[in-house]
This record gives sequence, C-alpha cells and structure tokens, in this order.
Amino acid sequence: MTAENIANPKITVPKIIVRDLNFYYGDYRALKDINLSIAEKMVTAFIGPSGCGKSTLLRTFNRMYQLYPKQKAAGEILLDGENILDKKQDLNMLRAKIGMVFQKPTPFPMSIYDNIAFGVKLYESLSKNDMDERVEWALRKAALWTEAKDKLKQSGTSLSGGQQQRLCIARAIAVKPQVLLLDEPTSALDPISTAHIEKLIDELKEDFTIVIVTHNMQQAARVSDFTAYMYLGDLIEFGDTSTVFTNPKRKETEDYITGRFG
Amino acid sequence: MLSLYTRRRIINAVGLAISILAMAFGLFWLCWILWTLLEHGLPALAPVVFAQMTPPPGSSGGLLNAIAGSLMMTLVGTLIGTPIGILAGTYLAEFGQRGWLAPITRFINDVLLSAPSIVIGLFVYEVYVVHIKHFSGWAGALALSIIVIPIVIRTTENMLRLVPTTLREAAAALGAPQWKIINFVTLRAARAGIITGVMLAIARISGETAPLLFTALNNQFWNSNMNQPMANLPVVIFQFAMSPYEDWQKLAWAGALLITLSVLTLNILARVLFRQKAASH
Repeated sequence: MTAENIANPKITVPKIIVRDLNFYYGDYRALKDINLSIAEKMVTAFIGPSGCGKSTLLRTFNRMYQLYPKQKAAGEILLDGENILDKKQDLNMLRAKIGMVFQKPTPFPMSIYDNIAFGVKLYESLSKNDMDERVEWALRKAALWTEAKDKLKQSGTSLSGGQQQRLCIARAIAVKPQVLLLDEPTSALDPISTAHIEKLIDELKEDFTIVIVTHNMQQAARVSDFTAYMYLGDLIEFGDTSTVFTNPKRKETEDYITGRFG
Repeated sequence: MLSLYTRRRIINAVGLAISILAMAFGLFWLCWILWTLLEHGLPALAPVVFAQMTPPPGSSGGLLNAIAGSLMMTLVGTLIGTPIGILAGTYLAEFGQRGWLAPITRFINDVLLSAPSIVIGLFVYEVYVVHIKHFSGWAGALALSIIVIPIVIRTTENMLRLVPTTLREAAAALGAPQWKIINFVTLRAARAGIITGVMLAIARISGETAPLLFTALNNQFWNSNMNQPMANLPVVIFQFAMSPYEDWQKLAWAGALLITLSVLTLNILARVLFRQKAASH
C-alpha cells in the first residue's frame, strides 16, 4: 500500500506515531508496513472485517503481545517521540501510561473499591483519604458512581455486564494514563449499556487520547474523530471520520462501509 | 421403514436406558459397601471409641490414639505437601508455556500421581526410616505429603488454567508485574478450586494404609511425639480386621466407618465450596 493512496488527515498534535510497523504471529505476517498517527485527545477508530489486524495493531501500543512468546513486532511506535518498541522500554511503566479495556468485562475477583485501587497502588502510595477520592473520581468519570457508591465493598463480579465494563473503564482511568485503548468495548453489551459507554468516550476524550477498535461502523462514525480502515493486515484508508464515511478515497473502503462486503 | 425421527427417538431411549443401567450398577456396589459399613460400624461406634486407647485382645478399648495419630500425620502431611504443590502448580500454569522444565515436571508429576502408594511407603522407609533406625510419625507424614504433592500440583494447574487469559491481560494492561498478577488476581480467582483440590488430597491420604505401614507403623499407646511410631486408623483397621478377636474386629468396623464418614464430609464440603464459586461467577 503506497502512502499516496491513503488520505492523510491533518493531525497537528500526534500522540502516537506508527512507522513501518510489521507484526508477526510466528511466521504469519499480520500487519504490513503500517504508518499512521494518533491525534492527542481525540478518538481514533480502527475498523475492518474480522482478522484484518485492527486488534493486533491496538495491542502493539501497550505491547500486550509480549505476553506470548511467538508474537513479535518490528518497526517503530513513537509515544511522545520515544520508541516504545525499544528493548529498553520498561513494559510496566509503558502500560501505566497506556490503559486498556477489553472486549469482555474483566473485573478482578475482589471488591469494586479494590478493583480500582489495585492499579493505583502499583504506582502511587496514597493515603486512605486520597485513595477514597481517587476511587470516587474514577467511578464518576466512568458514570458508575451513583450505581456503585453504596456497594463499594461488594465483589466486582456482582455488577451487571454493562456496569462491569464501566468498572473496567474506571479502573483503567484511575491510574491516569495518557492513552486509553478500547478493544471492542461494547460488543458484549446491550444497546443501553453501549449508549452509556459511547457517551462516556465522548467525555473522556477531554482528558485522554482514545483509540477504539470496533466492529460496529455506526459506532465508529458516532464516536470517532479519525477512522482507519484495515483489511488483511494493510491499512487501506485513514482519515477524518466524516471524510472516510461520506467520501472515501478508495473503493475497498466504500464497499465495506456501504455493506457490500465484510 | 421407520421415519428418521422415530429411529432417532428409539436410539435415544435405548441410550438412556443403558446409561441408567450403568449408573445403577455403579451405585449398587457403592450402596452395598455403605450399607455393610453402617451395619457393622454403627453398633461398634460407642463413645468409648473416642475415649480409650487401642486395647490388647480381650479387654475393652477404643481408637483414640489411632484417631489422634491419623489427624496429626494427615495435618503435617498436608502442611508439607500443600505449599509445595501450590507453588509447583502455579509455576506450571503461569510460567510453564516456554522451556523444557515445565513439560518434564508435568510428566513426572503424572507418574507420581499414579504411583502405587506402597512404593511411596517403601521409598520413605528406605531413605528415612532405615537411617534413623526406627519408625516414626514424621516418616508417616512425609510419605503422606508425597501423595499430597502431585494431587495439589495437578488441581492447582488445572484451576489456574481455567482463569480466563483476559483477566491476566487486564492486570498486565494496568502495568502490574507478573508476581502481583499471580498473587492478587489469578490465584484469587482460582482460590475455591485450589482449596477443593487440597480437600480432595486430604480425603485421599486419610484412608491410605500402605505408605504408613512402612513408616509410622503403629503404636498401642497414646503418643503425641511425632518422632515415635504412631498409631493411625488405616493400619489399626488393617491389623484389627485381620485378627481372630471379635472385639478387635468390631473396632476395625468402627474405624472404617469413621474414615468413610470423614472422607465423605470432605468430599461434600469440597463440592459445596466449588459450587458456591461457580455461582458467584
């Protein structure tokens, strides 16, 4: 894919710059020479059919793939100008800066309060009062405070699916990361919970740079400022969400968006 | 010519009937065993069983020293075996994805899991009892712990593998180092299952005779010194049941009933615990 084919959106303040990124599951090349920039305090969406590499790309930003011995990335990913793929990069520090929320809600087997305090305690030693405030702040940000404030000591698994996912978002933002990665965060949720979370994404972008992977094109259109369309490991088109959806530069993108394919 | 649907219904009915028969066959023996045990054990289960020591033939007595010895050796055996088993199982589940050490450990553990318990008794006899030149409670506990270890390793590994990978990823995504992920997230999520495994291991060793025969042997008197030969229910049952004396045989039935009841209780507890865990998820 040559760079000229891709509409290059005007990104004035890039938070993350991806350069010539290739990714391998063993011998299989899952990402092919990806180049793109993620704008600071904006929402960038990755769309494309299953297996196109959108989740793979997302998981390179916090080097999640490193949990698995056979996966590796080559190229550069610059976070504020520093290559996070560098061997010298401290993984845990990186993940403290780049939070992630997964497809399925993943509450830890502990109380709602401890679920949020867990991540905070890793990098800050707060007094009881400060921790209480932080937990409340995170739960308010995640629009879960009113529902959860009377049962902070209850197990996180006692919440409903949509609430659990908001708990996971609260947990991710409680450590005050700079970037928030959302991997299909609403695909396991009902429409009402989905609406809650989409509204939340809109509010969260005031503080965080957000990257979201979604199967739902309406969702990408609703929540994102920039959209990247991927297919079979290639970045086919990347641009302003409104341009990509109303006036795509490439036929493949148009076919996918109009539902003729995928 | 039967229709496909009728044929399917007949096959279903036949399959169901065979399954029920098989179940009834298995249950029949189990019930018979329990019935015989209750029939002979209940009348023998007098308060004196819990109050007096094992008697010489012809005089009255109980099983107190054997009950105490069994409890002590089971406790010590569990205390030695459980931490080793949990640590090794955790290693296999959480670090055993790469390298050669984990597959070899897993294979050896499987061998140990199915090793006849008499071999374990002989092993402890050879490497411990022979050197200190007398039977002892410690040797018995050691032999029991060698039976506990592979059971706990296996259940710990299995239970940790049931913890969804996404939970590990979620903890890693917060920047948690691996030891914290294991201690605070995965082991916690698998807690009920691991405790169930430990309880099943206790149930298993509380009825083992062979490993104690060569290690703790037996003791007619009250003994709380683990460094001395120690009375224990399985060996007492073995000895008394084989004897020609009727009062000894009665005591053997009482002991057999006691062991069965405690194993049954442990199994039921383990099930209840595991079910509660399943319900909370």
